[in-house]
Amino acid sequence: MTIKSIHGCIGCGECVQSCPCDVIRLDPSSGKAVIAYPEDCQICHLCRLYCPVDAIEMSPEKTLPVITPWG
Amino acid sequence: MSKSDRQDGPSRRQFLALGGAASGLAAMGLSAGWAENRPSVDAATVAGSEHETDVLVIGGGMAGLFAAVKAHDAGARVLLVSKGRLGASGQTPFAKGFFAYDAARESLSIDDFVARVSRSALGTNNESYTRQLAEHSLDRARELKAWGFFDQVLANRPFLKPITARDIPLMERVMITHLIKQEGRIAGAAGFRLDSAETVLFRARAVVLCTGAGGFKPNGFPVCDLTHDGSIMAYRIGAKITGKEWNDGHFTRADNPAACFDNWGDMFERIPGTTGIEVHHDLGVESNYVAYETGNPLPGGPPGSVGGRKTSGGPVTPQEFQRRAGGPGGPGEGGPGSGSRRDGPPPPPDDGRKPAGGAPDFAMNASQMGGASAGMSIHKSEGLVPMDARCNSTIPGLLAAGDALGSHMAGGIYTQIGSSLAGSAVQGAIAGEEAAGYAARSEQARITPARRDGILAEILAPLKREAGYGPAWVTQTLQGVMIPNFVLYIKKESLMRAALAYVEELRDHHAPMLRAADMHELRLAFETRNMILSAEMKLRASLKRTESRCSHYRTDHPETDDANWRAWINILQGADGQMVLEKQPFGSWPDQS
Ligand SMILES: Cc1cc2nc3c(=O)[nH]c(=O)nc-3n(C[C@H](O)[C@H](O)[C@H](O)COP(=O)(O)OP(=O)(O)OC[C@H]3O[C@@H](n4cnc5c(N)ncnc54)[C@H](O)[C@@H]3O)c2cc1C
Ligand code: SF4
Ligand code: SF4
Repeated sequence: MTIKSIHGCIGCGECVQSCPCDVIRLDPSSGKAVIAYPEDCQICHLCRLYCPVDAIEMSPEKTLPVITPWG
Repeated sequence: MSKSDRQDGPSRRQFLALGGAASGLAAMGLSAGWAENRPSVDAATVAGSEHETDVLVIGGGMAGLFAAVKAHDAGARVLLVSKGRLGASGQTPFAKGFFAYDAARESLSIDDFVARVSRSALGTNNESYTRQLAEHSLDRARELKAWGFFDQVLANRPFLKPITARDIPLMERVMITHLIKQEGRIAGAAGFRLDSAETVLFRARAVVLCTGAGGFKPNGFPVCDLTHDGSIMAYRIGAKITGKEWNDGHFTRADNPAACFDNWGDMFERIPGTTGIEVHHDLGVESNYVAYETGNPLPGGPPGSVGGRKTSGGPVTPQEFQRRAGGPGGPGEGGPGSGSRRDGPPPPPDDGRKPAGGAPDFAMNASQMGGASAGMSIHKSEGLVPMDARCNSTIPGLLAAGDALGSHMAGGIYTQIGSSLAGSAVQGAIAGEEAAGYAARSEQARITPARRDGILAEILAPLKREAGYGPAWVTQTLQGVMIPNFVLYIKKESLMRAALAYVEELRDHHAPMLRAADMHELRLAFETRNMILSAEMKLRASLKRTESRCSHYRTDHPETDDANWRAWINILQGADGQMVLEKQPFGSWPDQS
């Protein structure tokens, strides 16, 4: 799941700015953060660390099957 | 004909006929390969903006920060543009150890330090850049300290301090896709915004590339936003690129290998600190070799289940730098366990310096091996060829610094702990000053309307395609070809030739047909194109180096060949558009011709 869910967002946009992979966007109608491109998440937690209200929950699993040098 | 054979999707027989890594992935139903494009952005109504400056700095990591600050302080008008946020993109956010050579504390002189690095690097380092690192690192550390860098976990705010104090315009979330050369020198750059449908064109007298390194969006190392964009853009306007045959051997675990944060323990949440002299020879492909010979790590396996095994042969570590088995960072241990200490945070201080985290402990809980950062070389060994020790490239007005510059500061293997972050700071500062000087004595090269229109059309092309290949699918195909251990880690000619055939196919028949439905996918399309060219460079350079040295290991040429290979490999675009490879002897600068 990588970045898993967002609860209690206050719409500050910090996570959108701080995600190196452009995974999160602010929803234009609600003004809250949404996980727009979960498959591009690199599980670095920068969004979570920058969030002022700790709204972001993470998981260590990728949404896509993972290719490594050994399988 | 059976009912199932008449369905719309590919039949089972067609699937079987496809063959190869690509179809294996497609059959898993990951993301659409060739499909109709359904853009949410109308390419016909995309806006365009133009900007003008003396020095354009591209990249918001450690190198870009110092390039912008020092170019400004040297009197230039500066604009800083970055694909991600200042201090929160590229590799800079994750590095916690900063090497600072302090003559008052070290017992080694700078001469001795340089000599020790050169012995570890088997001659692959450029001594001018190694020396420069030591000479300037303490000054950069002091500036960072004044901005609050060593008091926080997240680099954005301390990085913003000197930028806002100087009123340097900052444009974040802008992806640069093109460098522009006119009249034989740099004229500017172009790209697009991620947050609005807008192309962006910059006119500049000098450009400093601080775009970092890159990889194949690998699993287990936080570099998925970096795809060697700077090198590839520069290559396309005639710059020389070096160091593509080296390998970064950072580790990941067999359990949830893509979980970068988890794999580094709590290191990403620690505050940074400084490190003193500690020269090693590691994080090359030693563990990949052990895994190749004896088998791969198992999820949930015992700690170091690969690295702990013994093999004969394989990559050679110079005697002086071999460590006792079981000692810190012993052979095959490396990686985001003790291995990350090469390049990770410093060990707990024993000299009264500020504590900075200490080594992450994730080696302790699962089996692991190198290969987390597939597609990346040793920091500073891969990128634009410097023409001198002032970060100038072979194109007038184009400079590069940090991980974007192939300075070979550390060499083809990791040598000094914490030198990567410090090297970006040191080189960024020098490149900024140098760029300001160049801008002051040069006119802005004119960008012709035809050139501008051609570039903007190229940028928007993937949005305009009615159908095309999905960038995610092409990337997965490339990963399937390039990431396996037996291609770029443990190398031999036959496999590299096979991979090259795949990569050429992607280059010629997929890259030109990538589609994009929105600005996010447009970014992926250009990143994919850049990764394909980088893969080609890595294969060609690895084929050319018919020996083994540092992090480049070939089973068909396992020995180091000093008679023929005390040389770096540079790549440039030939007149016919093909890659041309040349040797540049260690210790020399490139030919000006
Ligand atoms: C997990 C981890 C731990 C590390 N630990 C250490 C350590 O403890 N000590 C150490 O010395 N080194 C460490 N390193 C290495 C160190 O982080 C890097 O060598 C250094 O930060 C590179 O800085 P840079 O400014 O050259 O590039 P980066 O920090 O990678 O910055 C590149 C910048 O360029 C931007 N960019 C890229 N492409 C484009 C484009 N097309 N258009 C616009 N902008 C673009 C990016 O958004 C980013 O802002 C570590 C690296 C990682 C990943
Ligand atoms: S974990 Fe990293 S890549 Fe994933 S959404 Fe957060 S910031 Fe982006
Ligand atoms: S950082 Fe937190 S509060 Fe701010 S937009 Fe993101 S999820 Fe919402």
